Amino acid sequence: MIGRLRSQTIETGKFLADWMEDRTGAVTQLEHFLYEPVPKRGAWLYTLGSATLFLITLQFLTGILLLFYYVPTTDHAWNSVYYIMNEAYFGQLIRGIHYWSANFLLAVIGLHMARTFFTGSYKAPREINWIVGVVLLLLVIGLAFTGYLLRWDQDGFWASVVGIKIGSYSPFIGPYVTHFLLGGDVVGPATLARFFALHVWLLPAMIAPFIGIHLYLLRRHGEFGAEFEYTDRISKLHERQREEGYRQHEFEDDEEYDYDDELDEEGGTTRHRRDDE
Amino acid sequence: MTRGDFLGFGVMGVIMGGIITVPAAAFLLEPIINIDILGQSNVSDDWQEVGPVADVGVEEPEVFIVEFPLTQIYGDQEIQELSPEVPRSQEEFDLTNAVWLSWKAPILEQGDQGNSGDTIGVPERPAFLDEKREGFTPEEISEVEESLNILSNSCAHLGCPVRWIVNADGEGEFLCPCHGGIYDINGNWYGGPPPRGMYRYTQFEVRENGRLYIKHAYDVEEGIPGISTQEPYVV
Repeated sequence: MIGRLRSQTIETGKFLADWMEDRTGAVTQLEHFLYEPVPKRGAWLYTLGSATLFLITLQFLTGILLLFYYVPTTDHAWNSVYYIMNEAYFGQLIRGIHYWSANFLLAVIGLHMARTFFTGSYKAPREINWIVGVVLLLLVIGLAFTGYLLRWDQDGFWASVVGIKIGSYSPFIGPYVTHFLLGGDVVGPATLARFFALHVWLLPAMIAPFIGIHLYLLRRHGEFGAEFEYTDRISKLHERQREEGYRQHEFEDDEEYDYDDELDEEGGTTRHRRDDE
Repeated sequence: MTRGDFLGFGVMGVIMGGIITVPAAAFLLEPIINIDILGQSNVSDDWQEVGPVADVGVEEPEVFIVEFPLTQIYGDQEIQELSPEVPRSQEEFDLTNAVWLSWKAPILEQGDQGNSGDTIGVPERPAFLDEKREGFTPEEISEVEESLNILSNSCAHLGCPVRWIVNADGEGEFLCPCHGGIYDINGNWYGGPPPRGMYRYTQFEVRENGRLYIKHAYDVEEGIPGISTQEPYVV
């Protein structure tokens, strides 16, 4: 009974996956996205990027939840944060995750950058990915800075005053930067409204496409590791993919799905990379 | 493509581009346009009461809280008076400033900004303040105005609030908690990162009732970045 149920479930699952694959190609894309050869030595260091992505995702999710209670006005901001922390169900947990993952995010980004730097992963052909990464770092710093004021307590308020005043020291555009951030000539309702807009809309909307570009470029060039390990592992991966391709080919002989073409393309990039490094 | 086409395309491009970008840019950059170009302020230009000057002692400065009405977004006067019979947002939004008052101490030896602070004597408090707190004559008013330091608590370095502390030797100084800027009782630079002395209120008057009134305006020095280098306003 249970055995039959299980086989039925597997069948249905396979059917759904095939159905999806036929219409969207999503399964192949997903496999392509998920499988990535990683250097054997220091493999754990290569998880820092995923950790960053995970923490940013947490920020997005908990941030959306917090928006259901947070009120961005000078007379209600602190009260609504107090409500979240003391009245709302699991509010302390959700704001705690938002707060701590923001802190850890900056630390993990620092480690991720250090790993990239010390393994030389910023070198050709991955320079653009380093640059995109720096843009992402600046956006995250911007998010951390603007998020601090939203609590509207003494801590966040004075930290923001100091931050804004640091901006006033920038050459030529100092006063303009200051007044843009303040939304007036002193800290007031306009400042909170602006920081809120930057924190929940502008900066997240900017960070999302850059994360996409960062991941695309990573998949295009792969992780960087010792050449030996790298070529060895990537050839093993392609061998496995080739075998799987042949196996499928036998099953679906009548279907017009040209695995050889894909293989040539993949093989081509591998050879190309070998030449490069 | 002919030259006429090219020119037409260019002119149309500028017009269409302008239609798309100018409203959005002006919408976002409103504060820059208002303050840096038109020279307007969101802070009320009225006189605000600080407090009785007789409360300020000789040895230590005295702090007063002053609230300046602020007209930003929902604090805007026009919006608040829109429908008085059905109050929607009848709250006044204020900018809260802490004002330090002290009596000017004579500078015995001029210091050098960045190297050494001034050597100062004992602060000079007008003697008649011991006898009366109000009902000043014009001469007494001008004497008080001349001998009073009216200082903003916003540190000239990065804007943190400074406080008066007395060290182990019994010497008092203004200390900024953020980066350790130190000022003497006159508000002049004594130590730490600030590029100048504390901001002074430039518009003030003592009235017959013995109280000090100020406007939100500061002495901004050329070439030293503050919160604003163009208009005399700081946080």
